[in-house]
Amino acid sequence: MTEVLPPSVASCAKVFRPRWILWSCALGVAVTVTSLLGALAMLLWQSLPLLGHQGSSFVTAPEWYYPEKAFGALAMIYGTTVVSLIALVLAVPVAVGASILSAEYLPPGLRLVVKSGIEMLAGVPSVVYGLLGVLFLREWVYHGLTAFDPISGDSLFTAGLLLAVMILPTITTLSDDALRSVPASQRSAARGLGLTRAEAVLHVALPQAAPGILAASLLGLGRALGETVAVFLVVGRQDNQLPGNPFSPTAWISPGQTLTSKLGGPETHIAYGDPLHWSAIIGLALLLLLLVGFCLAAAWGLERVMKRTPMDTESDS
Amino acid sequence: MTVSRRILRLLLPAAAGLCALAALSAVAFILGVLLLRGLGSVDWVFLTTDTKAAGAAGGIIFQILGTLILIATALAVAVPPALAIGLTRVVFLQNRPRAARAVDALLHAINGVPSIVFGILGLLIFLKFFDWGKSWLAGGILLGVMVLPTLAVSLVERLAAVPRKYIEAAAGLGLTREQIISAVWLQQSWTGLITGSLLGLARAAGETAPILFVTAVFSGATMPDGIRDSPLLALPYHIFVLAQDTFNEDARANLWGAALVLVMLVTCFNLASLPLRLNLHEESRHV
Amino acid sequence: MFEKSIGSHRGTEGTEEGRKPETLSVSLCEKKSTILSVKNLCVAIGRTTILDKISFEVAPRTVFGLVGPSGAGKSTLLRCLNRMIEMTPGSRVSGRVEFHGSNINSPTVDADALRARIGMIFQQPVIFPTSIEGNVLFGVSRLRRLSRREAAGVVEKSLREASLWNEVKDRLRSPGQALSLGQQQRLCLARTLATDPEVILMDEPTSALDARSSEAIESLILRLKASRTVVLVTHNLGQARRVTDWVACLCPSESSGAGEVLESACCDAFFGSEACRSVFRTLVDDEALS
Repeated sequence: MTEVLPPSVASCAKVFRPRWILWSCALGVAVTVTSLLGALAMLLWQSLPLLGHQGSSFVTAPEWYYPEKAFGALAMIYGTTVVSLIALVLAVPVAVGASILSAEYLPPGLRLVVKSGIEMLAGVPSVVYGLLGVLFLREWVYHGLTAFDPISGDSLFTAGLLLAVMILPTITTLSDDALRSVPASQRSAARGLGLTRAEAVLHVALPQAAPGILAASLLGLGRALGETVAVFLVVGRQDNQLPGNPFSPTAWISPGQTLTSKLGGPETHIAYGDPLHWSAIIGLALLLLLLVGFCLAAAWGLERVMKRTPMDTESDS
Repeated sequence: MTVSRRILRLLLPAAAGLCALAALSAVAFILGVLLLRGLGSVDWVFLTTDTKAAGAAGGIIFQILGTLILIATALAVAVPPALAIGLTRVVFLQNRPRAARAVDALLHAINGVPSIVFGILGLLIFLKFFDWGKSWLAGGILLGVMVLPTLAVSLVERLAAVPRKYIEAAAGLGLTREQIISAVWLQQSWTGLITGSLLGLARAAGETAPILFVTAVFSGATMPDGIRDSPLLALPYHIFVLAQDTFNEDARANLWGAALVLVMLVTCFNLASLPLRLNLHEESRHV
Repeated sequence: MFEKSIGSHRGTEGTEEGRKPETLSVSLCEKKSTILSVKNLCVAIGRTTILDKISFEVAPRTVFGLVGPSGAGKSTLLRCLNRMIEMTPGSRVSGRVEFHGSNINSPTVDADALRARIGMIFQQPVIFPTSIEGNVLFGVSRLRRLSRREAAGVVEKSLREASLWNEVKDRLRSPGQALSLGQQQRLCLARTLATDPEVILMDEPTSALDARSSEAIESLILRLKASRTVVLVTHNLGQARRVTDWVACLCPSESSGAGEVLESACCDAFFGSEACRSVFRTLVDDEALS
């Protein structure tokens, strides 16, 4: 069999000197890695004054009041957790449901249409989500949840709801991929036994796609944890709102503060001049990195578990 | 067949369909609202005049230009390292799976860093240490690092799909590894860099947090002048500021127009990347 | 409802319209009753016709063999018998397939219920990621409610019928995917037998297995026919000779390339007849090539 060579080979063969490419690539990778490590080191260094001043109470103290040098991040950790949890609880079932429809029930053409449609949610910039949250979601929450007597439409719940829509496309697409990676032979064997399509999905495809779906949810969580602008606009930005009962719905309907909404706010500018205040802000950034890092690492691990061969088509002889 | 089985057989697709419908309605709502409220404000004048009266009147020309300058800079910053990392990952590490996984992890890690952390880093490096004041270059560099993984991953996908037979044929002719890279690997996969660039541009155009501290101002800037103390206006920041103060009804209409223009810009880049991405999909199914 | 229309019909004798005329030697075979009959079956997938006017009858408690060169459409034909063909996109089926005299393709028939009564074994054993016990009970536990004791009874009975009980009785909770390929195929059989099907369709069940496991499966098939009907697709002529009672040969027609039944006779007549020698040649050549 003769091999077909791309026409470029003959003309380009003599032009380049050897080794040039290897060294530039090595340089590129080295520069990238060093810069990132350097940036991380700088963050750690800049947060040192905080350790001296506050120590571990940074994450356990509920009070954040910079004029009195009190830097407790607990309320913000609570805010970040609640907002992200609400987003997950709302987004994951809808995402998994939509992915079941697209992966198991739709023919390929329609599946592409639905997937692309949902992926368009990912193409909307976060500031536009924030805008929509401010102009619509705020009103809906305020008027819709009068039973809980909200102070305003800005609350942890509003932010969670907005985030749910934002992370929906990520979880849907990845869950669809996870379902599609379960081999068709497994479903055929189940149908051959007399199981209905729904049973084949629930008892064969879904359990085997579960690690992938979990990884997808973790990636969505990571995104939710790190989202700044949209959350900033609708979360209320009230400090020290650590409630007596963290599980009561009224706590979630009140305004709050997350790590990202604090970082994106005016206090970062105020802290610029004062080393201790500044180190506290950097500490918040590091805390955020840590949380997101955990999610990503867990998702990475699960994705390795899910390494399967792609779905094979049925062969008819 | 028992009743419960028959119910489940109908219930599952119905519930799944409802979920998909909910998601698609959200899409329809967002696009619909943007078009409905924003289309009225967007005309040639809007796109080419300066902002007046703090957004209540005038247009968004310098915001658009600012955004374009930022994403162009981001692209220039991102392409060389993306190329280096991509080539390293596929060509130089093809026999070292552990190192290759480390590169993948690195890309995942950069991709996952929250955008506000990039903003804080920018504040630290470009304002505190370099003392640049607000600078367009700082924002461009930050955005470039942010979208680096998007470019790199797209390139890696394309590189990995180059058929082995071309590599072997070129090696059989006596080409050195570097020659094979330029003649075969890159020739066959430069479209991956294009796709990744378009996706990266789309992403960078919509980001607010990285440029929040180091580049963007709400008013008073036009075109950049040198590197230091040379801020820009930018669409996302413009929307961000106006969204926090929505009492002015006149500004409201322009705000929707700006939001629509931003979404259109991002969508254009995303759509432009589609033809090349669909091509790759088809090829990978046949190979 | 499918269950309601089941009866046991005595089969019909004699030739019917559309059936290929039988050769002299075939008419010497004894005709028994019919459990499964195929009349003028045509199958197309997309624009390609795979099967063209297929007709034959399967007698109960016999082993019916389908032989032929690869690509003739044997697996497709098998999939028509339990309506698995519907899961292939673009497939169009015309003609009748009758189970106990009733058309299985009629809209009143529940395909899922049908598949519990006509089971299927595939070429590659497909084991679910659960225990051996879990695999055996996978289908039957959804068909009806089983108490713990009933379930254990079904597991033992099915594994015995599949000749696997003695090898796995001590480790029913261990993962099914840890078994050898031959054991996995018998586990698939046990799983199918647990739903108590009247007919078992087997698509080249031994081609992925070694000689010893193949032998085990073949003796299993011979034992199974005492209580059930087996339709066996095989490209191994020796196997067909050893195991089947009736053989039909499916070959691609010279004009259209679609499969058609070239010869259908009881086993001895099939292998002894003159008309089959040309068919053998193509089959043997095909086997020599593969």
